[in-house]
Amino acid sequence: MHTLIVIDQPPYGSWGGRESLDMAFSLAAFDQPVSLLFIDAGVLWLKQGQEPGGINQKSVERNLAAASIFGVESLLADTAACHRFGLNEDNLINGVTRIDNTGATLQQYQHVAFSG
Amino acid sequence: MHTLHIISKSPGHTRFRECLGMMGEQDAILLTGNAVTALADSTITLPETVYALQEDLRARAIDPEQDISGQVTFDDMVSLTIQAQRVISW
Amino acid sequence: MPADNHTFTLVITGAPYSSQAPETALGFAQAALRAGHTIDRVFLYGDGVHLASSLPSPPSDEINWTRAWSDFLQEHSVPAVACIASALRRGLVNESEQRRYQLPASNLATPFEIAGLGEWVESTIKSSAQSSRVIYFHGGA
Repeated sequence: MHTLIVIDQPPYGSWGGRESLDMAFSLAAFDQPVSLLFIDAGVLWLKQGQEPGGINQKSVERNLAAASIFGVESLLADTAACHRFGLNEDNLINGVTRIDNTGATLQQYQHVAFSG
Repeated sequence: MHTLHIISKSPGHTRFRECLGMMGEQDAILLTGNAVTALADSTITLPETVYALQEDLRARAIDPEQDISGQVTFDDMVSLTIQAQRVISW
Repeated sequence: MPADNHTFTLVITGAPYSSQAPETALGFAQAALRAGHTIDRVFLYGDGVHLASSLPSPPSDEINWTRAWSDFLQEHSVPAVACIASALRRGLVNESEQRRYQLPASNLATPFEIAGLGEWVESTIKSSAQSSRVIYFHGGA
């Protein structure tokens, strides 16, 4: 059963997104198929050049870029949200698939979850 | 019913809008907690099949004017989660 | 046991006193058992781990959500697990974590346990069966 973990909150202002990643990486660690979907301001997790050292947090950019190595099948991002936040092939991290019909994508997964 | 969408967020939360936008034609929505205030908000248009937790409505003195599919108890909520092929909590 | 017996795993991510999640989840849990279904596990994640703290002391005319859940879990022998990563970040520890991190106190209420996300993964694997469901109870905001 393929799980889709959805992130709809921007990074660093709350811990929900980090805990969503933990869920995805845990499933992957147990060899369970899992993908991550970024919608709304959640797409900002996928922007290159994050430097959260000044707010005493660790960047998740490298973890996300290595998601496929950890066994996360795909990083999906809502195209309209990317457009809204000025994200394109020049400033998105590697390995992101943009999807136009997010509702239809959601229908394809038996298990869809948010971290909070 | 294909998917039961359980939403606890207020209608003003971005996730409420996302939920409505991604619902399929054979899906139903169940409003719990703050989400039941959508039934008191004249600016919100809800899909056809809407359920709301009775005690959450009663607590907030919301008497849904528009016809909703049903005010449900927790017993009904359990049945709905079983009838649905899939449940998503927003 | 009825023929249509289902097994539920409940995941609570909203904290008591800042959300209704523990209340909605408890109402659901009681109804599920009334209908003859099984709850194999309650998993507390994110802010939901606060439900397992023995320390909240609400005014006497307000419900104590930890106690209400603790009574329910013990009466029906339902296991409840707080995610260790969420718990340690938020200051919820049992005695062994207290010793490990040399903390001044522990505060995990009975009968809650602390364990990893693997417990949740196990429930999601089981839920691929048609008669099994993982239901999430999030905060309201």
